[in-house]
Amino acid sequence: MAARESILRSIREHLVASAPHDVVHAEKGDEQSELTLDIGHPNGDRLSASVGVQNDGARSLIEVFGANLEAVGGHCIVARSEAEVIEALNGIIASLQDSPLRGRTIALSNAPLLERLMARVETRVDEIAVSPSAAELFDYDVGISTAQAAIAETGTLMIDSEAERHRLVSLVPPAHIAIVDAANIRLTLGETLATASQGPELSPTITFITGPSRTADIELTLAIGVHGPQELYVVVNEGPPLTNS
Amino acid sequence: MSHLTTETFDSNARAALVDTQLRGALRNATSLFGKRRLAAARGLENWEDLRTQARAIKDDVLLHLDRYLEEFVSNAEQRGAKVHWARDASEANQIVCDLARQQGVRNVVKSKSMVTEEIHLNDALQASGMEVIETDLGEYIIQLAGEAPSHIIVPAIHKTKGQIAELFTAKLGIEPTDDVDKLTSVARNVLRQRFANADLGISGVNFAVAETGTILILENEGNVRLTTSLPKVHIALMGIEKILPRFVDLDVFLKLLPRSGTGQQLTTYQSLITGTKRRPEDEGPEQLHIVLLDNGRSRMLAHPTTRQALACIRCGACLNACPVYQQIGGHAYGSVYPGPIGAVITPQLIGLGKASQLPYASSLCGACREVCPVKIDIPELLLHLRAEITDRKQEQEQAGGRRQEQAGGRRQEQEAGGSFKKRTGERFAFRLFAAVMTRPRTYEFSVKVGRLLQRSIVRRGKIGRVGGMLAQLAPPLGAWTNARDMRPIAESTFREQWRAGLRDDTDPGSDT
Amino acid sequence: MRVALFVTCLVDQMWPSVGVSTLEVLRRVGCTVEFDERQTCCGQPAFNTGYSAEARQLAERFIQMCEESEAEAIVSPSGSCTAMVHHYPALFDNAGDAQENHEWRRRARAVAERTFELSSFLVRVLKIDDVGARWPGRVTWHDACHALRDLNVHSEPRRLIGNVREAEFVELDNADSCCGFGGTFSVKYPEISVAILDQKIEAIEKAGVQAVVSGDASCLMQIGGRLSRKGSNVRAMHLAELLASR
Ligand code: SF4
Repeated sequence: MAARESILRSIREHLVASAPHDVVHAEKGDEQSELTLDIGHPNGDRLSASVGVQNDGARSLIEVFGANLEAVGGHCIVARSEAEVIEALNGIIASLQDSPLRGRTIALSNAPLLERLMARVETRVDEIAVSPSAAELFDYDVGISTAQAAIAETGTLMIDSEAERHRLVSLVPPAHIAIVDAANIRLTLGETLATASQGPELSPTITFITGPSRTADIELTLAIGVHGPQELYVVVNEGPPLTNS
Repeated sequence: MSHLTTETFDSNARAALVDTQLRGALRNATSLFGKRRLAAARGLENWEDLRTQARAIKDDVLLHLDRYLEEFVSNAEQRGAKVHWARDASEANQIVCDLARQQGVRNVVKSKSMVTEEIHLNDALQASGMEVIETDLGEYIIQLAGEAPSHIIVPAIHKTKGQIAELFTAKLGIEPTDDVDKLTSVARNVLRQRFANADLGISGVNFAVAETGTILILENEGNVRLTTSLPKVHIALMGIEKILPRFVDLDVFLKLLPRSGTGQQLTTYQSLITGTKRRPEDEGPEQLHIVLLDNGRSRMLAHPTTRQALACIRCGACLNACPVYQQIGGHAYGSVYPGPIGAVITPQLIGLGKASQLPYASSLCGACREVCPVKIDIPELLLHLRAEITDRKQEQEQAGGRRQEQAGGRRQEQEAGGSFKKRTGERFAFRLFAAVMTRPRTYEFSVKVGRLLQRSIVRRGKIGRVGGMLAQLAPPLGAWTNARDMRPIAESTFREQWRAGLRDDTDPGSDT
Repeated sequence: MRVALFVTCLVDQMWPSVGVSTLEVLRRVGCTVEFDERQTCCGQPAFNTGYSAEARQLAERFIQMCEESEAEAIVSPSGSCTAMVHHYPALFDNAGDAQENHEWRRRARAVAERTFELSSFLVRVLKIDDVGARWPGRVTWHDACHALRDLNVHSEPRRLIGNVREAEFVELDNADSCCGFGGTFSVKYPEISVAILDQKIEAIEKAGVQAVVSGDASCLMQIGGRLSRKGSNVRAMHLAELLASR
């Protein structure tokens, strides 16, 4: 408690000491803005010279989301029904099996939907586990979860710990597949944050995921999959919502 | 060259300048990040508004920091986190070590955190018998090498893949390879083992939201998520300035930080952690401890100029933009916080006396201010600190003189006296400068004297390298002419020409 | 327009031709130019090294001198000295009496408001971007930091150079990065200063120009000093000199 009190006291005392200088500083701020008004903003022009925000007006949220996800190395597959979602899972797992990532053992989050879907996936796998423990999870090839929301302008998924146990399934296995309902895609980060904080209480953990795990720590060379997955597949369901069921 | 100090900035910098490999790496990194930042900023039409907004939010936070801290603490604790307050580094280390001991911790995994480096937490934990592993790839590399980070965002920017391969071969027993993917996967495998065994995870904090008690941590690799999910205890350390008032304020800062740092729209992962898990069977640690560190920060609130440094979101953009950093890199600063922001924060954290060189290690070009996402006027701050240093010098000169009289000729005092002497010279020079420049006649006279004096060294209209006695008498002359020629004082100054007829010559077409 | 010329102490002593050229250009565009012989230094070296008391002495002097002049504008061939004048109010922050400081800040602002760097005076105030100059050759431009970042001078010199007859303008790769001068920095840390400078020199050499032009004599001494040491044929030239030639 002593530390708390003395830090708070120090904050207050130093802010009081600052007051006379703050007056002068505020005056200076006024003067500076006047000044730049007077002489124009050529330097500002220099910085914003080629501002070229792509006009997303014509594109759908799904298209924008898909393009931004692919830009960071993720894959986006659009499905128009539950059957197409299953088909997509089939295809992803099959292609993983042809790759060094194996795709033979699958870990699911505890979202009930996933077990139902996986039961109908035809590609043969060695094992499907629901929400395995942290220690076990290190041995799985693929993790599958849903996502509660997505952000189109950045290609981002949002996963909420109150909706499912997602923290490790989406992170530890070398491949992560996420299913998101098209209805839950928002255009901006701001909208998504606003939605996330709407409930009475924030969930203990909200995770934003934008593409596969990456690093450029060695000679700035991009390496994918350093601690998290190497591959990220997002299946966007345009059909009747699945994840809220 | 692992742990250099700020006191030897001068020689650190000279050593860095002859390291051609380092300079090549710096050039690549700073120009790449600089270009990416610019492209990312241009991708948002309201970039300038965002910067203004971000700064306004930070100013509000700092002016009411006590209130926002209390709000944050009460909300975080309501949600099950335990908050600790630390006045300084040793208090913070004590808190973390005590917690670790109480929990019977042996293995600690850490994700990148500047604050923990500021307080040298790893040393403290190791001294308490715990094994600490840095899990960010770059941090892991420099930990293995026993070095210090050289960049806020890319800590191992000074090392080549060849050097890293050698390091891994020596320390981890791998086959030599210079394939970056292979090196990365080696580190992944070693670190996975560490994660599996860890009983404490330590992270930093990028933003803490007062309204909700949430802490937010950004990353690209996934090691933060592992650090904050796997071990049964999570300790997050943060400077008291990391607060944001409202949850929605995150929007502004999440737009600015990744774009300024790496040019990404968003980093790969953001973990927003609000208290502890609700049910025992849920994922995640059982305990969340948040350590709030002051360590000199509250002092910076005492003036609007110094206070701005607390708005920093550690994006690293000012490092990449800084011509000095571009040449010498981070190690030379001898501080966890290098570059322009380091040059203004370090002296305020560790004391101007110990870091008096850093505020002078800048050409005041203003590139840092131009790129800073929270519009910190770093040049203004540098000038403010320079003024404080010269004030302090005056104080010390008097105090030093007195002390010397008392203590006789003890060696320490002599050394101190020696460094004062140099500063006394500078102070005298500027007094003289002001005395001359406030008297136009004296000014003109001294120009004439200069013209006479320079005769012996002007050759073909310029002054070449000046060495020997003369350089010792006038060190700036030697320093300038070592690699640059100098323009001599003109045969006839402007005002002489003005008097000689320019004044009356009003024909606009005349040739000069 | 009645204009007071502030040549700066550096130009006065070391590079008077810049002052002469400025005078000529101003007269050519129709200004009546006065020169107060009491002027010396704006105080920038002291201010930038941390000697604010000394800088304040010079600032007070400069302010008083300018107040006595009835010129509508004070024009200087230096971005950094002009920027220094614009920084004057900051010198009267907290030293001494609050009321007195307030008054000084007001006076300082009034002077700053009519103090202009040459190119922005021509283009922004007089709205002139062609001064009838002629200079045959390939030239490039170095943005002096204080002109660029403190005074927002960027397009003005480029427009002026663009209208110089027979001059071919090429943009430098790193036009807006620092030349490494930085006042006392250049002699406190000469090795770093020259390392920064050499990047500029490299770009200038790559540009294949006859002259590198800038608006600050200090940058030009730094760049020119290195070019000369390296035996380069590229000339470091002040904008005023370029604009005065015909
Ligand atoms: S001072 Fe500004 S640019 Fe530098 S690290 Fe901090 S926020 Fe980024």
